[in-house]
Amino acid sequence: MKKALSLVLMIVLIVALAVPAASAADDTIKIGYIGDLSQSTALWGNAGKFGAMEAIEEINAAGGVLDGKMLELVPMDGKGDSADSVNALRKLITDNGIVAEIGTNFSSCNIPMASVADELKVPIIGTAASNELVTIDEQGNLHPYSFRMCFLDAYIGTVVGTYATKDLGLMKGALFTINGDTNSEAVGQFIEEAYIANGGEFVAKEQCQAGDREFRAQLAKIKKANPDIIFVVMNDYAMNATFAKQAREMDITCMLMGHDGWDSDQLAEEAQGALDGCQFVSRIGFAMPEANDFADKIVEKYGGTKETECLFGRDGVYWIVDAIERAGSADPTAIRDALEATEVYEGLIGQLVMNAETHNPVMACEVFEFSTTEDGAHVKLPVKTVEAVVD
Amino acid sequence: MFLQQLITGISIGGIYALLATGYSLIYSLLDFSNWAHGEFAMLGAYFAIVFANMVGLPFMLAALLGVCGGALISFLCEKLVYRHIRSTGAPNMFLMIGAMGLSTIFQQVANLVFTGQYRSFKFKLPVSTIEIAGAYLGVLDLISLVLTAVILVFLIYLINKTKFGLNVRAIACNAGAARVLGVRVDRSIASVFLLAGSLAGVAGILYGMKYNVFPTMGNIGLKAFVASVVGGLGSVPGAIVGSLLLGVLETFVSGYISSSLRDFFSFALLIVLLLVKPSGLFGVDVQDKA
Repeated sequence: MKKALSLVLMIVLIVALAVPAASAADDTIKIGYIGDLSQSTALWGNAGKFGAMEAIEEINAAGGVLDGKMLELVPMDGKGDSADSVNALRKLITDNGIVAEIGTNFSSCNIPMASVADELKVPIIGTAASNELVTIDEQGNLHPYSFRMCFLDAYIGTVVGTYATKDLGLMKGALFTINGDTNSEAVGQFIEEAYIANGGEFVAKEQCQAGDREFRAQLAKIKKANPDIIFVVMNDYAMNATFAKQAREMDITCMLMGHDGWDSDQLAEEAQGALDGCQFVSRIGFAMPEANDFADKIVEKYGGTKETECLFGRDGVYWIVDAIERAGSADPTAIRDALEATEVYEGLIGQLVMNAETHNPVMACEVFEFSTTEDGAHVKLPVKTVEAVVD
Repeated sequence: MFLQQLITGISIGGIYALLATGYSLIYSLLDFSNWAHGEFAMLGAYFAIVFANMVGLPFMLAALLGVCGGALISFLCEKLVYRHIRSTGAPNMFLMIGAMGLSTIFQQVANLVFTGQYRSFKFKLPVSTIEIAGAYLGVLDLISLVLTAVILVFLIYLINKTKFGLNVRAIACNAGAARVLGVRVDRSIASVFLLAGSLAGVAGILYGMKYNVFPTMGNIGLKAFVASVVGGLGSVPGAIVGSLLLGVLETFVSGYISSSLRDFFSFALLIVLLLVKPSGLFGVDVQDKA
């Protein structure tokens, strides 16, 4: 009898302690964030996290969402690895009770994460994950809970290839991609198709392996082919900077052009002027003063460098909050429905024209050019806006 | 284009050589492949980055401290880990397993302390080149090649013409007999670890200056190991020749065939050599090559 009484009292005590905690938890809406927070691409993962943290701080300071509920960011390290990112997503949903998730910036991570999101019915928003399979599976079926904020490989590849021929008139090209890298090879393929379709001709096509630091063997072949432009389709700023320096050291003076994978402040610095006069096409983002102000604030407050990922992190939070307010609920399925119903989202990365059938946004692009200022600073400046092509 | 590829290959081989000689020296004494050797290079580079970028010391002083850092870590590994394993009379395989463990630990520690982000020296040489008969060589590559050549010549002198070298060669030949004849074996082995660690430190700093510093940069040690096997494990001249051969082979495969097949050819060379001449180009006849 005594044992039974003790047990009942214990249960009552646990429930009594748990009720206020549950009430407190009810007042907090948790948003997950997954990115590489510790490995070689932590530069981007942490920038996205800081952007999301800052956005949440702003929203909470302004009174929160749904009449006073506070937001909480729950970041988790996916290490840029697909298995770690999938595990992190499962943990965030089942253990932490998130209602939506932002990240990663890698298609290789978001493709398997999309199936988990569908299974556990919590929406996820990829940042720079640009492969088609992030939102639509191989059978052509939509992943209902998977969204993205970036353009597709096909879109950016086509814009780059077309811009080089139509706007720059550089008709003799060389293509440099990373063997086995999904993003590099896919964007390279679309650059090639658009470039040839617009009258361009490829005189050299070379590849390296992921993580390579030596490109001079391939550059010697490219130099012999004497192209007007080299499309360097690599996402790693250190590889791009080394490529540019080695090209200049070998007296290759032609235009080097890149895609949004070049959009890192570190690139200009590391290239030490070797990229001066070279261009890349990316999202509008840093062509807008408010985006620069936000990124400057992040760098000042959290350290690191000015990365587009901080804008993605920030926009991801604001897009989810917008969806919560429109849905009038923080239920994951209601958020998903509201995200899908978004027609146009105005963020710091630019204006996203959403497509409910594909979950793929379309947006205008900006061409940036590298230069060195009089005081020796290596910078990138916006030079031209390429309007969005909406199907 | 041939001359350009040759120069590039020799430049890559030079970095391999600084590491490969360390592998060879340690193998010649202890008959095991020190898999943590690439990490000595990585840690040496991080030491230099800390002293140069964070403490603000002049670059040359920071680089010197980085070399000392690589040597110190190498020395401590010998003193605190390998020597204890040897004292238990455990098979050499245990030394290799210990080295693998150290390699992983060092990479993880670097990740925790510095994160995986690329680091670069604030001190930078300008992007400029020297033209040699239509081929181009970067200034940093030239400095790197000259420095490597000077160090390797000094190393060969040290091994062949000094009392220290005589002791090392005696231990490599027969450690027991060397001990009986008065050679202080443990002290000589510790000195070799200091020497190998400092060579790795130089390699790490040069690599960091040419490219970047990051926790997994020590993986280049795998290529250096292949080079030392090709040249003949235990042979310092062999390690140098093997490194240059591998650097040139890799560049020629990338330049004339395909960069995708670069590692295929490197490791195919290793396999063929192990089948045809297991002792490598310059090596003594050994039974348990790695």
